[in-house]
Amino acid sequence: MSPLSIRSFPRAILHIDGDAFFASCEQMQNPTLRGKPVITGLERGIASSVSYEAKARGVSRAMSLHVIRRICPDVIILPSDYELYSLMSIRMYDIVRRYTDAVEEYSIDECFAELTGLRRTLRMSYQQMAEAIKRDLDTELGVTFSAGLAPTKVLAKVASKWKKPSGLTIIPAREAHLYLAKMGVGKLWGIGHQTESYLASKGIRTALDFARADEEWIEKHLSKPYRSIWYELRGDVVFHLETEKKTAYKSISKTKTFTPPSSDKAFVFAQLSKNVENACIKARRYKQATSEIFAFIKTNDFRYHGMEIKLERTTSLPHMIVHALREPFEKVFRARTLYRSTGVVLVHLEPELHQPDLFGEIEATTRLYKVYEYVDKMSEKYGKHAVFLGSSFIAHKRGNHQDTRATLPSRRKVALKGETKRKRIAIPLIGEVA
Amino acid sequence: MTDHQQALAHFYRSHKRMPSYSELMRLWGYKTKSAVDYTLRKLTREGVVGKDKQGCIVPKKLYGEVRVLGIVEAGWPSPAEEELVDTMSLDEYLIENKEATYLLRVKGDSMVDAGIQQGDLVIVERTNSPKVGRIVIAEVDGEWTMKYLRQGKNGLYLEAANSAYKPIYPKEDLKVVAVVKGVIRKY
Repeated sequence: MSPLSIRSFPRAILHIDGDAFFASCEQMQNPTLRGKPVITGLERGIASSVSYEAKARGVSRAMSLHVIRRICPDVIILPSDYELYSLMSIRMYDIVRRYTDAVEEYSIDECFAELTGLRRTLRMSYQQMAEAIKRDLDTELGVTFSAGLAPTKVLAKVASKWKKPSGLTIIPAREAHLYLAKMGVGKLWGIGHQTESYLASKGIRTALDFARADEEWIEKHLSKPYRSIWYELRGDVVFHLETEKKTAYKSISKTKTFTPPSSDKAFVFAQLSKNVENACIKARRYKQATSEIFAFIKTNDFRYHGMEIKLERTTSLPHMIVHALREPFEKVFRARTLYRSTGVVLVHLEPELHQPDLFGEIEATTRLYKVYEYVDKMSEKYGKHAVFLGSSFIAHKRGNHQDTRATLPSRRKVALKGETKRKRIAIPLIGEVA
Repeated sequence: MTDHQQALAHFYRSHKRMPSYSELMRLWGYKTKSAVDYTLRKLTREGVVGKDKQGCIVPKKLYGEVRVLGIVEAGWPSPAEEELVDTMSLDEYLIENKEATYLLRVKGDSMVDAGIQQGDLVIVERTNSPKVGRIVIAEVDGEWTMKYLRQGKNGLYLEAANSAYKPIYPKEDLKVVAVVKGVIRKY
């Protein structure tokens, strides 16, 4: 078999991927969970992370909890502790940054690192860097990671997936064909079912078939993202690392499910109001605003009832949106119907400008923004939702869940001296020691 | 440094005050105060001099980049950031390797002779190479245990800091995951 490229590492990109990250974090902080089938996602009703022990029993992600209990009766189901996962995630990025500044924070449990050109400064080969990073991560975080080293992002993804959990796979460009030959084209990062079946109809089944496809054919039949994948498989970088922190969003959405489902109009509206507040907090953090809002309420039999509003000017102040939502809400809400969730999407976000509007309103708006500036400051000091709108009150009072889903992560149940209900020390508390 | 700036610095050093406009006319060889003002504005833009609330000229970076820490009128100038560069926060003092640091709450009195009491918080650092003699966190029968790491004839074992507890000799290999770096007791 002839190689796709004669070079080894024209670039060196490392992809790091946490192994069953959320479940592993839980097993890290509670040794009694080691070696046991553990899943997280109790509050969502579906598995958001599945430990390798649970995977071995046939449990997979996004499976509903009652199905999981049936196929794996001794499963341990935990509420998600996003605070812990976030703390661990930041540590992951920071450990990788000890070796290189070029780190792309791809997701909570994944990142890319560019190692190109560091062999002399670090006095290490690319393989040694990858090994050192993986060793630091595994020991210091107490959870394992799978790493893949390759000349492009697409190949690095292939590499990190190659051996899981806790693998380190190194794919130089000239050996890529050996790996791609054993991999279905649908397993590639960025290739979905639709494209997979289209390619299959053209006789392209493995990732290597795809990489070997004629350049002219690719240019003619596939759109740009797929052409990029083709180049990357052949060892040519198209996707560069995005090392800048996200500074703006195109849209922000907030959705929350509550149990048991409710037909209480005031409660459902309060849930919606709370989502609006959450979305606005995020928009204000990124100094963005919108005039277009989409909201929905979802019935217990999963039917969506949407509301669309367009404001006269852009805003990131929740009470303006909540006020505008009242009328459409009255129209779509049906009495004696059970609802299970609500959601809101702020679309077409723009940079927040306190634009002059109608006379007299300029001052009023500026004053309101000042009020929210202090609301945000209070949240910073006392925790999120230290101050909230009256329209969200019932949602806060009742909480989102009345059943077992209301179980809090262990860290929320203990307060160390000096901690408050809303603020905790930013270091994982991994339990008790005798 | 320009000649103007040098002359100004020299005046400030010998007179221990800044010159007036008329003195500056003589100093810089100008015929009008507006010429002085023009040069002063230029020096203000460059951060060499400034004006105080009364509009009097005050020195800033008169001697180049060395910062003049306020004018000494009486006693010491107010504390400047420069003086605090060599200090650290309590966080930095207690935590050496941030990414590897975790907290545990102490249960029981097995380490009481080492000064670690029930209810204390211990700061631990995950490591693969714990040194003998350190207080370590080990995993024993699915639970965290905090003891001294000791070297015996038949390998490593764990020893409590309380004579009421027996040493723990591991049946298989000893799973030490972290070393204790500090203790917090908040009153």
